[in-house]
Amino acid sequence: MSNTFVRSVLALLWVAASVGCSEKASLEPAQQSGNAPPLPIAQDFLVPPMQVPIGVGWAQGQSPKVAPGLKIEKIASGLMHPRQVYVLPNGDVLVAESNGPGTEPITTPKQLIANKVKNLSGKGGKGGNRITLLRKGDTASGEWEKHVFIDHLHSPFGMQLIGESLYVANTDAIVKFPYHLGDTQITEPGVEFADLPGAVNHHWTKALLASPDGSKLYVGVGSNSNITENGLEVEYRRAVVLEVDVATRGSRIYASGIRNPTGLQWEPQTGKLWVIANERDEIGADLVPDYLTAVQDGGFYGWPYSYYGQILDRRVEAKRPDLVAKAIVPDYAIGSHVAPLGLWFSEKNALPEKFQGGAFISEHGSWDRSPLSGYEVVHVAFQQGKPVGKPETVVSGFYSADEKKLFGAPVGLTQDKDGALLIADDVGNTVWRVTAESH
Amino acid sequence: MSLRPEPRSIVAESLYGLLNPIPFGCFVAALIFDIIYSETAVMLWDKGAAWLIVFGLLFAVVPRLVNLTQVWVTSRGSATRTDKLDFWLNLFAIVLAIVNAFVHSRDAYAVMPTGMWLSVCTVIPLSIANIMVAVKRAARGGYVNE
Repeated sequence: MSNTFVRSVLALLWVAASVGCSEKASLEPAQQSGNAPPLPIAQDFLVPPMQVPIGVGWAQGQSPKVAPGLKIEKIASGLMHPRQVYVLPNGDVLVAESNGPGTEPITTPKQLIANKVKNLSGKGGKGGNRITLLRKGDTASGEWEKHVFIDHLHSPFGMQLIGESLYVANTDAIVKFPYHLGDTQITEPGVEFADLPGAVNHHWTKALLASPDGSKLYVGVGSNSNITENGLEVEYRRAVVLEVDVATRGSRIYASGIRNPTGLQWEPQTGKLWVIANERDEIGADLVPDYLTAVQDGGFYGWPYSYYGQILDRRVEAKRPDLVAKAIVPDYAIGSHVAPLGLWFSEKNALPEKFQGGAFISEHGSWDRSPLSGYEVVHVAFQQGKPVGKPETVVSGFYSADEKKLFGAPVGLTQDKDGALLIADDVGNTVWRVTAESH
Repeated sequence: MSLRPEPRSIVAESLYGLLNPIPFGCFVAALIFDIIYSETAVMLWDKGAAWLIVFGLLFAVVPRLVNLTQVWVTSRGSATRTDKLDFWLNLFAIVLAIVNAFVHSRDAYAVMPTGMWLSVCTVIPLSIANIMVAVKRAARGGYVNE
């Protein structure tokens, strides 16, 4: 459908929003960060808070802004919706180029309009359904060599290497590929290793993390709705972290009630599993803060019945007081609607001293907030295995000063062999590399 | 007021006769679905109601424009108080249905109870209007499908 049509719909929604008691956010993400974020009263809207910058991509020579003392370079461009980055033992970088499989049926009039509005930002760009390998080379542009590593995947997201087996989390299954150090292409077809919940796929990303001993794989599986509006029956094994046993391929629910766990990592000092999660929308510009939390075996984190412990969500009519009573309060809020999609713990890296240790989080930004929040990479300091202080901005400048244009949006995070922070940018179709200025 | 109403446009009358019953049917069905949803919380009914309200509104566009033109422009001279009240009751119902379409865009049980009461408040004025028009016809000795 034409852009003009979409824009007129957007304009109409703006009018409706202005009469429909929609509201602007009153809390900064930093104010809603930490272990006790202020949580305003939930509201029902005629039109939820909404702001969508138009995706335009990066101009020649333009790049995101970095914190003082840092520099940023582009190591790959022209990718097809890069979402995740993963570094192999020889320093090659894998980039999963992917977007949703588009299998969620349109079952409400709202979806017809909302999908078009959201896609204006460039976040709906077509995914490559492949993994591209980047290798540091001496190309004139400074960009790394690009090789199509694995093609014809099905909305891949997580990637993990255990020994000589590369595990790729497609949206509906973990697929296993043989990998030999130095390979720039895998042509052998993958073997389906373990199936994953693949119906509807409202939230389609499957984050993947191997245990340090390679015996388990942990999978982040998002909910099939914002707040059960597709029925509870499609939420089976959804909004959970699954644990897959590598030897037997059997799986179990490791933790539940986490609406959309998009990134999993081991906290290096304690060895505990940590997760970033996208919380629910449409009850306020300042609700519900997304979070970073340690995940307890068997823990329940509230979704859909409650958030931040025992705060009930009235939109869920099926009541489960037994579950709500045991809902765990997440460790650390990172602000409402920042939409974290990448998590990376780094004990040592090629950034200045204050970024050593702690967690990097990439925030993809959301449609459901005005003014915009997220659209940046932040660093959260850790002490004794716990987050402290406020998130500090590392990389920003993904949208124009007037908040009308979107150049890029950060997703996957990792660090390369030299300790540089790598950022996949799915709106700018770029991979960025951040180091200290002097590095 | 003239004794015999002037002849009206056949096209306008045909479109009106064809399309005007549809919104009322949609809004009544939406009300039934809303009541079922509010009792069962099964999403099918809520989503069904959301579609019915949207389709009801879409089908209402042409007959309401025909009615607006006839009551206030082309048949201004012969429009009775009943005709004018029918127009206002319909307008009121349509405004509520538009608000209700937005309420029905909320997720899951956030639609309730507001959505159900708005459906009730959409159906009531339309029912009154339909009864008024029928009574007027009865008084004139006309047939139901006049």
